[in-house]
Amino acid sequence: MSKKSVTAAVLGLALAATTALAAGVHPGKESIEKSGYKGPETCEECHPGSAKGFLDTVHWKHASKVTNVEGLNPKEEYGMKNRIYVMCNGNDIVNNLKEIPKSPVTGKSKFSGCNTCHPGNHLSDVGSTGAAAEAAVDCLVCHSTDYDFRQRKPFKNEKGEVVMGQDRSAKAALAIGKPTVKNCMVCHEAAGGGVIVKRGFTFTKDTDAHAAKGMVCVDCHKAKNHKMPTGHDPNNWANDGLFVSCSDTSCHGVKPHKDADLNRHCAKIACQTCHIPRTGGAFAKDFTVWEQTPDKFYEPTTLKKEANETTPVYAWYNGTVKNTPHFIGPKGSKKDGKSKITPFKIFQGKAYYNKQTGELLSMDFAQPMSDGDTRAGVLSAAKTLGLKNPEKIAKEAVPGWQTIYFGSNHLVTKTKALYCANCHAPNGVLNFKDLGYSDKEILKLTSPELFMEKLAQKQKEDW
Amino acid sequence: MKKAVSVMVLVAVAALTIFCFGSIASAGEEVKMVGVITKIEIAGKDAKTATATLKDNKTEQLVVITVEDDLTLDKFKDHRIVEGDEIRCKYEVIDGKNVSKLFRKTAGC
Repeated sequence: MSKKSVTAAVLGLALAATTALAAGVHPGKESIEKSGYKGPETCEECHPGSAKGFLDTVHWKHASKVTNVEGLNPKEEYGMKNRIYVMCNGNDIVNNLKEIPKSPVTGKSKFSGCNTCHPGNHLSDVGSTGAAAEAAVDCLVCHSTDYDFRQRKPFKNEKGEVVMGQDRSAKAALAIGKPTVKNCMVCHEAAGGGVIVKRGFTFTKDTDAHAAKGMVCVDCHKAKNHKMPTGHDPNNWANDGLFVSCSDTSCHGVKPHKDADLNRHCAKIACQTCHIPRTGGAFAKDFTVWEQTPDKFYEPTTLKKEANETTPVYAWYNGTVKNTPHFIGPKGSKKDGKSKITPFKIFQGKAYYNKQTGELLSMDFAQPMSDGDTRAGVLSAAKTLGLKNPEKIAKEAVPGWQTIYFGSNHLVTKTKALYCANCHAPNGVLNFKDLGYSDKEILKLTSPELFMEKLAQKQKEDW
Repeated sequence: MKKAVSVMVLVAVAALTIFCFGSIASAGEEVKMVGVITKIEIAGKDAKTATATLKDNKTEQLVVITVEDDLTLDKFKDHRIVEGDEIRCKYEVIDGKNVSKLFRKTAGC
């Protein structure tokens, strides 16, 4: 083939791609219609290296090195894969997707596991690598708007292995594009044991100012080679090394308000403090006592609220995290020069602790889900993790509580944002005493002297 | 006579109480229920409404819910919500229909 014809072919492809993109259609339609969809290898025709690159992301590994949390080994990777905490007392290792024991009441079983959302086929599972893993990536579950979720169900193959199904139809492949809110929410809305349990938010025009503007998740969580930027949630440890910032120059910048007084607040107050005044979701969960559900299986006892139904707790946060068996949350202070007052969704969970070491224990959900026997779940997890004397550990395990401060980074509002008097009043939302202010400072901070003139003027303008 | 009038008033008050707070949902009242989907009826990809029949966990009665919100309709269309799923539902009776105000799967990962 001559140089000229190669150049012509490349130009032709580029022109076709540009035309398709301009028309809002993902290029490659003809190829898929002609040859069908064969999984990542089809995507790789235009996106070479994508599948291999994806295997090095948190979405695939469910873990990464973590540098801002105390007590962790900087050489190890942490995340949903192996963490032990009380929102999800299991993890991908101890609560690997499997068929649970039959219910003694109904004789029925079901599939369950923390890695149900992993975008592989379970044979190539969390953190797997190599050609089989690359071929197992479920590109369409994130990129198709016409995915048939009847296909994405676990089943046993002829070898008795548990496989997660995928929709690899041409129909689904012909509806690909940038992930929509729905694509992300397929997994993220029901994390932690049900809809709005873990994160406590919905991303709709009624609940979030960004959604009301027509934005989608990946407008802020703008991926680079499938690596997703995240916020600095004290309980969301794994990250791809990229971070979302409201003050990004392409978004709100460092002086987001017209009012200089408000911009001055940005030095010490996180944007979320004023613009995310409410939270939601689960606020307490008990992994030591599971409730029987109508299908006669069991679930951890969970107390929860809708999005925007609970109030946050406020603390100084410098981006580093305290991590103990009974507390996971922000570190920071008024004086360190790095911290900002930040809102958090507070959650408390009860689970079993190792009587000898005081460490929080993990739980395999299979047995408790079947018959409510939570200590059997602790035993199974202790065996999987190779703990010494697992029977003794499970028998002597002591119930206890852990408090977690989750980041509160969604449910953004402009119209209901906190204003001067919401904080600078004796009954304001901020507890200045707890935040480290002296009585003298508090007296000044809660006086109308601070905002009288400004609010009087605003009141005049409003009416 | 006074006694008869008192009895009649008491009966009327009791009837009114039953009418107001009884288990049968009246128009405008929000009803909460948890139940398993026994049937979903939706007319095609562009449907703007669908019905889902739920078997109430408490009463075992079948309740037909009309779903009109786009998020839930989309979940019916791509089968994220299917027959057999347990649902937490709030509905209001509007023009004789049980119109969904909240329709969520109870299960998660």
